[in-house]
Amino acid sequence: MPDERSELLQGTLDMLILKVVALGPIHGYGIAQRIRQISKDVLQVQQGSLYPALHRLEKRRWLESAWRESKNGRQAKFYRLSAKGRKQLREEQLTWQGLAGTIALILQTVE
Amino acid sequence: MDWLKPLRRKELEKEFDRELRFHIEELTQKNIAAGMSPDEAHRQAMLEFGGKEQMTEQLREVHQIPVLETLAMNLRFASRLIRKSPVFSAVVILTLALGIGANSAVFSVIDSILLRPLPFLHGDELMLLRQYNPKEKSPQTFVAPVRLEDWNRMNSTFQSISGYYLEDDSEISGVLPEKLAHAMVAPRFLQVLGVSPVLGRDFAPEEERFGGPRAVLISNRLWQRRFGGDPNVLRKSLRFDKYSLPIVGVMPAAFAFPDRSIDMWSPVPLDAPYAQSRENTWYTVIGRLKPAVDVEKARADISGVQAQLGEQFPKTDAKLAVKLLPLKDNTVDSSRRSLWVLFGSVTLLLLIACTNIAALLLARMTEREHEISVRFSLGASHRAVIAQLLTEVFLLALAGSLAGLGLAAGAPKVFRTFTPDLPRVEEITLDWRIAGYCLVCALAVTFLCGMLPALRGTRRGIAGSLAKSNKSQVSGRNPVQWALVAVQVALAVTLLVGAGLLQRSLAELARVSPGFDPSHVLTLHISMSYGETADMKALAQRTNRMLDAFRAVPGVEAAAAVSTLPGVPGQQQTELRVVEGEQDPNRKIIVDSRFVSSGYFAVMHIPLLGGEPCQETPNSMAVVVNRSFANTYFGQSPAIGHHLTTAAYSQFPLKGEVRGIVGDAREQGLNTEPMPTVYWCSNVAFPGTHFVVRTRSEPMMLADTLRSTIHEIEPSRSVFDVQPLQERLSGSFAEDRLRTTLLTLFALTAVSLACLGLYGTLSYFVSIRRREVGLRIALGALRQQIALRFLFQGLRVSIVGCVLGLVLAAASVRLLSGMLYGVSSFDPGTFSGVVALVLLVAALATVVPAARAARTDPMRVLRDE
Repeated sequence: MPDERSELLQGTLDMLILKVVALGPIHGYGIAQRIRQISKDVLQVQQGSLYPALHRLEKRRWLESAWRESKNGRQAKFYRLSAKGRKQLREEQLTWQGLAGTIALILQTVE
Repeated sequence: MDWLKPLRRKELEKEFDRELRFHIEELTQKNIAAGMSPDEAHRQAMLEFGGKEQMTEQLREVHQIPVLETLAMNLRFASRLIRKSPVFSAVVILTLALGIGANSAVFSVIDSILLRPLPFLHGDELMLLRQYNPKEKSPQTFVAPVRLEDWNRMNSTFQSISGYYLEDDSEISGVLPEKLAHAMVAPRFLQVLGVSPVLGRDFAPEEERFGGPRAVLISNRLWQRRFGGDPNVLRKSLRFDKYSLPIVGVMPAAFAFPDRSIDMWSPVPLDAPYAQSRENTWYTVIGRLKPAVDVEKARADISGVQAQLGEQFPKTDAKLAVKLLPLKDNTVDSSRRSLWVLFGSVTLLLLIACTNIAALLLARMTEREHEISVRFSLGASHRAVIAQLLTEVFLLALAGSLAGLGLAAGAPKVFRTFTPDLPRVEEITLDWRIAGYCLVCALAVTFLCGMLPALRGTRRGIAGSLAKSNKSQVSGRNPVQWALVAVQVALAVTLLVGAGLLQRSLAELARVSPGFDPSHVLTLHISMSYGETADMKALAQRTNRMLDAFRAVPGVEAAAAVSTLPGVPGQQQTELRVVEGEQDPNRKIIVDSRFVSSGYFAVMHIPLLGGEPCQETPNSMAVVVNRSFANTYFGQSPAIGHHLTTAAYSQFPLKGEVRGIVGDAREQGLNTEPMPTVYWCSNVAFPGTHFVVRTRSEPMMLADTLRSTIHEIEPSRSVFDVQPLQERLSGSFAEDRLRTTLLTLFALTAVSLACLGLYGTLSYFVSIRRREVGLRIALGALRQQIALRFLFQGLRVSIVGCVLGLVLAAASVRLLSGMLYGVSSFDPGTFSGVVALVLLVAALATVVPAARAARTDPMRVLRDE
């Protein structure tokens, strides 16, 4: 992995996936591309962690899946957010914002 | 993954593959769009994607349900932990073995006796049918053969109805006549019970007809004993005085109906001329319900049948009603409450054991706080840690219940030895049901003991955690642990109160003066048959001859025959009328009726208060009444000279003149106050009549002499059931004694467990507060004060437990009412005695840890820092 790219913080990948899926049904490849695009190539999702994470989230019933035709006409597994997943995303966002705020505060104060 | 069904697994694998392939293809497309050659694009895509196999493996892991693996890991870890602290584990396992063992033992008895159907095919279809006269007080009578046949013919809810009565016969083909218990059965007997002979056949129809060939079925026991299990037995016969019975079959070894003592069954011809009276009282009636008919429906049906018979035969049948109850209830009802009380007490014992272990685990949990917080910080979920902790307890509980199962294996023997009269006692066995019960116990124990400590141990999560060291802990306040100790004391007090009351009751019973003297009295039976009752005069002569022969034996003081043994429970209440004078119709005379021969009061040492004792009188029957009869129904006026007769509707009309008054005796059992009693003087012995002989020396020493005396004058009769009266009396309380002994044993175990709990908990607190105590001593606290503080802490909990226990006991002693004699359920002596005992033992249990606290060396504690 190139140096300028950051590795994802433990536990944040789930949140990012949920966020991306929240925008609309999407397949695994799409999710990886989207995260990369949005983060302007800073965040790179390893496929090695993406798919296990997707399956884990599906197993927790935060995601639902269905096989559908993709843009180029081939069958792909599309994920979408369940009601439970939406709630989870909201909670994780709140926690994250709180944590991020706290860390920022610490950094500012200590400086 | 192995646990998944292959089909589902294949599907999943295919799906993984499709999903991942799609991703790779998309990457390839992107690369081609960026200008690579297809081959190069694919290669790059594969590189970027990483190992596909590896990822599939990861996906598999996600879908795996980790239960089994986690369980295996938890078990491994738990067993390592158990081995690491062998003393703790041994204490827990032993405590549980005791608790679960006792519980399973009593459960095995309850299961065999109360829960299982009788050991017949569809045993729950078997019913007992009784006729009774609703107007009489203890009115059940045996059923006339013609009525039995009417019931069988007219009902619509029974498959068939049959009946039996018992007599004892003397088989005379051996050197000495041997008494055989003989069940005389109505047609369809084996059909109702759903059994058939293992050898030979059931009775043929002609054998059930008057004048037809005779036949007998013999018990497996008799077959083995007399014929050595010889299959040629079917060509042999049993010989009796006036006839012999050809053996047509052998019953299965497990068949024991009406009871284990029966040696043979033979049919009674119902078409015999002497069987036609509707007033005959012969049979105990049993019937088998049709499948899926419930008891209520059958009850209504059979009552309807009897009402119909009442219209048809108003004189004999109109006054009768039919009572129907499951045969099993009839068999086991007498022991039901006793057994449930026992079960309740062993369950309390098990609860105490659980509480004890929960307290031990809680204490240990504090030591393991560090380990648990490390687990949390390494990412274990709350649930996983609890599962791990419960697995440990489960392993201990499992070991405990296995050991307990070994303990329970002794139950059949204990009960068979100590309560041979318990119904179905021979059926008590240990089987997979009991093993299953032990396993359920282990599971229940795991949650009971383990849940609270596990929840508390994991409560703090990461927060309390790594930073805190055990050393700095000062305060030992932990109300939950003390509450557990109080609960143990309370349960122990409850059990102890129950055991104490039963003990007091037995002691009272032993002190009771029965009004007769059971020592030096030998009781025995002489074989008779109902056929002899056809000629009452001859029978009376024979009875007299036998009694006289007994009286002539040196060493015999007196001899008599009596229908029911004194002091052995069993009652025959009848309603009487005084012939002379007007009688208040609202004041019924209900008495205990007994048939006694002359000499009875001399044998029993029941004092004569007035008139003369039983004597044969030529014309009318003589009657002797007891003092409470005379006082209750005659008051000041003299009873002697009045005539008594049975109520008009009675099945057995009797009339006699009061010739004497005797003292009150506890004829109906030592635990029953004497009731007004009428002794009908009759020198006629029936099957089942007891002969009672007062001897000068040890009664059993005369047994053989008496036996040969009878053999000389009546060679075809056998003498059996020879036993001192005192043994019979104590035999009738065998169940009470076993119940009391077991409950006492459980209660004492409970108290020891509770004190162990108290000791353990206090020791634990002393050890955690060592530092604080050391500091206090260093600062000048008196050692005595320190000891007293801990002592009071222990005693305070015990007192709270005692108070709780007394409340609990007061609420539950109701269960014992009816089992107690001469002591009230709230006997203050027992209650205060129990409290004193428990507090004393509790004080002993607290002294050691308290003293240890006081001996703390401040220097050592401080150096340890």
